[in-house]
Amino acid sequence: MSAGGSGAAAEAIPQNKIIAFGVAGGLIGIYAAYFLVDIVGSYMSFIGALGAICGMVWGAASVRRVASYGLGTGVPSIGMLALGMGVLAATFGLAVGGVAGPVIALIAAAIIGLMVGVLANKVLKMGIPIMEISMTEIATAGTITIIGLAIAMTGTFDFPVILSQVISTGYIAVIFIAGGLAILHPFNACLGPDETQDRTLICGLEKGAIAMIVAGIVASINEGASGALTILIGLAIWYVAFAGYYDRVKRDAYIVVGTGLLPSKEELE
Amino acid sequence: MIDIAGILMENILYVVLITLGGVLISWSVHFVPVGGAPAAMAQATGIGTGTVQLAAGAGLTGLVTAGAMMQITNNAGLILASGAAGAMIMMAVTMIVGTWVYVYGVGCPPASAKVKYDPITKDRQDLYVSQGTEGHGLPTVSYVSGVIGGALGGIGGSLIYYSLMSIENGLALPDLVGMASVFAVGIFFVNAVIPSYNIGGTIEGFHDPKFKRFPKAVLASFVATFFCALLGVLAIGGL
Repeated sequence: MSAGGSGAAAEAIPQNKIIAFGVAGGLIGIYAAYFLVDIVGSYMSFIGALGAICGMVWGAASVRRVASYGLGTGVPSIGMLALGMGVLAATFGLAVGGVAGPVIALIAAAIIGLMVGVLANKVLKMGIPIMEISMTEIATAGTITIIGLAIAMTGTFDFPVILSQVISTGYIAVIFIAGGLAILHPFNACLGPDETQDRTLICGLEKGAIAMIVAGIVASINEGASGALTILIGLAIWYVAFAGYYDRVKRDAYIVVGTGLLPSKEELE
Repeated sequence: MIDIAGILMENILYVVLITLGGVLISWSVHFVPVGGAPAAMAQATGIGTGTVQLAAGAGLTGLVTAGAMMQITNNAGLILASGAAGAMIMMAVTMIVGTWVYVYGVGCPPASAKVKYDPITKDRQDLYVSQGTEGHGLPTVSYVSGVIGGALGGIGGSLIYYSLMSIENGLALPDLVGMASVFAVGIFFVNAVIPSYNIGGTIEGFHDPKFKRFPKAVLASFVATFFCALLGVLAIGGL
């Protein structure tokens, strides 16, 4: 069960595998894009967006897990928190880290997330057993999303380039909303008594593909990155993910379980 | 790598001010009457949306007005005042339009179910509360409370922005504005969500029993913002 009520959500894919997928996929995507753009050419920048999608799917899975306990504030707040923490950690990591920037950003994000999780449970007494780990995951996933999409836009994570082409131009706001939507929206859209993990996650993949297409459009005006391949691959992923999401909606929707009429007074006795 | 201790020592005042700003935002959220989905259906008092959206709206408006003021002066008092005024106007406009919708659109009188008499106007409330609801609309006390919340949030947001813009570094102005805005928005979102977990849904304003919980959120925000302030000061100061 997972109806935005109270209790752990059912999982077909264990969260540990999704964490590994998010961290490894995200870092591989970010670093592969960084080095391949240098070696092969600017059109390899699309790999950064693939890394970001790993982060977004992971973030959506974590939001699903923690929000199924019932936050009392609506699911979107946690997505905003993810990107709020993520943008702090990503900017800090890239600004001070050089080539190690993304790793430093992830560590900073994990520390902020863990701290917010501990505060939420110990000080605010939210009483959600997985709050600490989930907040850590969500902050880290938000950071991967931001760095991955920023690389897809510029072809590098060198801070002066990111600063002048993503932050000062305001495209960071696009990343904030498109990436945040991919993290917060899937569970918000799918929650209910018939929510299933694969449907929620593929919705996250579909939103991630939209963020990738948007990053591609921005990349088309930047020198270091090439937009065409990013947009095309983004469209392909979007089509596959949307078709998969539609299939799962059909699969989950037509099973209607009849509970019968309410029992009469005699039957209850 | 950068000289971490040096930058922190030089800018310790700004770390303190950013932390103070975060605490103010966290406190301000408790003043804003938030009704969520029930309020959108006129079944609870307040504005029909979540805490985070309202706090972000008020804070970002404060940020914009503070930024506009920073173009002409470096006087901290004026910048904070313009940030506060901007956020207060945003909250007041949101609430008055909400009240019009409740009164003329939905057709219900603004009434609170949390108190029998409005603490400001001393008007009787319970007679006007529809059965099965927790009040509706924005009674005077919630409106005043929301404007106070807007002021505190605006001061907090502009304090953070002003502090980030004042850190010593070698950045060009457009890049510094970009960095400071991104950090301010990030800190704002963190401090808008922490108190909303504390409130857990709806709050009417300073007369609501839930308002007494604010010290917990302020403490949590203090710790979280302090760390965010360190990151921000190191990142901007190190460039």
